[in-house]
Amino acid sequence: MTGLYLRWSALVIAAVVIAALASRYFEQNLTSLTPEEIVSLQPTRVVRVIGLVKGGTLRGDLDSGHASFELAGRQEALPVEYDGPPPENLRELKTLVVIGSLDPSSGTFLAHELALVTNYGYVVGAYLIGLLPLAIFLFGMERKVTFLYREIKESKLYEPETAHHVDTR
Amino acid sequence: MISALIKWMQRYEGWVGAGGGLCILAGLYLGLVASPPDYYQGEVVRIMYVHVPLVQTGMLAYSTLFIGSLWYLWKRDPIVDNLCHAAAGISAFFTALGLITGSIWAKPTWNTWWTWDARLVSFAVMFLILVGYLMLRTFVDDPEREARYAAVLAIVGFVDLPIVHFSVEWWRTLHQPLSFSMRGVSMSKPMLIPLGIMTVGFSLTFFYMLMVRTQMLYLDHLLTAKKGRLLSQAHLSSDVGSSPSSLSTP
Amino acid sequence: MPFFNVIRWVAWKDLISEVRSRETISSMFFFALIVILVFSFSFSMDQAAARELIAGIIWVAFAFTGIIGLGKSFSAELQNDCLEHLQISPASKGAIYLGKLAANLLFMLIVEVILFPMFVIFFNLDVVEELPLLLLIFALATLGLSTVGTLFSAMTVQIRAREVMLPILLLPLAVPVMIAAVEATRGALHGDPVSLYGNWLRLLAVFDIVFTVLSFWAFEWIMDT
Repeated sequence: MTGLYLRWSALVIAAVVIAALASRYFEQNLTSLTPEEIVSLQPTRVVRVIGLVKGGTLRGDLDSGHASFELAGRQEALPVEYDGPPPENLRELKTLVVIGSLDPSSGTFLAHELALVTNYGYVVGAYLIGLLPLAIFLFGMERKVTFLYREIKESKLYEPETAHHVDTR
Repeated sequence: MISALIKWMQRYEGWVGAGGGLCILAGLYLGLVASPPDYYQGEVVRIMYVHVPLVQTGMLAYSTLFIGSLWYLWKRDPIVDNLCHAAAGISAFFTALGLITGSIWAKPTWNTWWTWDARLVSFAVMFLILVGYLMLRTFVDDPEREARYAAVLAIVGFVDLPIVHFSVEWWRTLHQPLSFSMRGVSMSKPMLIPLGIMTVGFSLTFFYMLMVRTQMLYLDHLLTAKKGRLLSQAHLSSDVGSSPSSLSTP
Repeated sequence: MPFFNVIRWVAWKDLISEVRSRETISSMFFFALIVILVFSFSFSMDQAAARELIAGIIWVAFAFTGIIGLGKSFSAELQNDCLEHLQISPASKGAIYLGKLAANLLFMLIVEVILFPMFVIFFNLDVVEELPLLLLIFALATLGLSTVGTLFSAMTVQIRAREVMLPILLLPLAVPVMIAAVEATRGALHGDPVSLYGNWLRLLAVFDIVFTVLSFWAFEWIMDT
């Protein structure tokens, strides 16, 4: 019985460690700023900005990978110059994440990559729905087997039966 | 008293289980942290690393059930029947989880929870057959007959699945022209590695679960049978003591 | 007894008892009639809608009536321990299966042939040219339902909750039969050329052959004492 609980607690600890690593990774890499924050903070390093491609502002040659558009937040819109691989997900009125840096002199955002909006909680939910029932199912089975072996051992059901037969005769 | 197959399972189940657990943990790390997001699907593609192995393992479990059923009809070994029963329960479980995670994956990707795609319908039918199998087993009184009926049902159902798949495929091309792209994810190497490790991990975990569950069913039946025998012996001996004439046989 | 005589006698026995009691066919028939009525109330149909839906309605009605007939086929054997006599008889189990299959197929086809004019009358169908083809579709699909159905009927008759278990086991397996039958019937009622739905007839034929052979083999395990 102790062995069973030890094994499973080791497994749970390992899973928690991986979950912590994953959440740290995604906080570092995938937190996105809004256009308002860009305007107020004026960051210099490469950042991710989430917003809606404003209707009627998308211009440029998408097949060769050059485009300019305005990325709208709640109140403000940020002019974006995109220069990178031909984007497939770039459409007007689509919520997108653009990756790049702000040009402080002109106030335009120079993007080199586009990404879809991350819904990481959804992915984690799917993993939990897939793996948690599996773990519970397996744990229940293992515990029952342990109980059964113990019951057989304690009840001495598997002592040879011949003695009993001799008694009755 | 404990049969050779069960002894063999007791000896090797630890290695299989440890291997499966380690592979799944490694696959989780690779799938959630180390692998890149898909260009079209974004982060949602990570659901694939848990959905595809679940489905494949469900099929592996049904194949095990099919082979076990043939083996049972050939040899009539009750432990093989316990193995089949265990495989059916695990297969139903994996198939249900695979359908649910598939649904979760389909919603952001194709904007629908369910579509009458051939693979989905065949899996739903497979799930229904397995549930029918498990229900049938609870309704038969005689254990030997239960095993025989269940084996026949498993074999007939297994043969049916490819036919279901083909018929639904034809039916779909007739009625619902593909409104969204069913294109698979273009697999790059950093995606194939976590998927492969997860698949190996789930298969090993399935074999481990099969070993544990077979032992569980076997021991359960053994205990019930043994207790019943002891009870009837006690009953018989006390009966003989009180009224020797009533049950005496020459 | 030779193989074919066994088939003939088992089927003959079922026919005789049916002719004397008239239980199975009449209960199937009236059940199907009620199904038709319920359907015509639940979808208030004009003729155009009827042509789209009718194939599905026909096959739902036929499948459910078929399940009633299949269930009765072996539960009738429970009286006077007929089932046990079949089990211990030295005749080939496969022959017994084929005899039962022939009787079930015949009952279901009789009911379908009586019912189909009702559909034609109630839903204003126009079917005169396609009648032979429709009969072929009915025969193939009914054979598909009754091959697996006869096997499962023999299986469920000896367990608890048999009325529930027969449809639960049979209907998922009969998914291809239902799809193919509905599609082929719809094609025939529309007056489409046969080449458009010939694939479905081929699928039905494949299903029939595969499951007749498989059930013929498996029946031995079911009837084993």
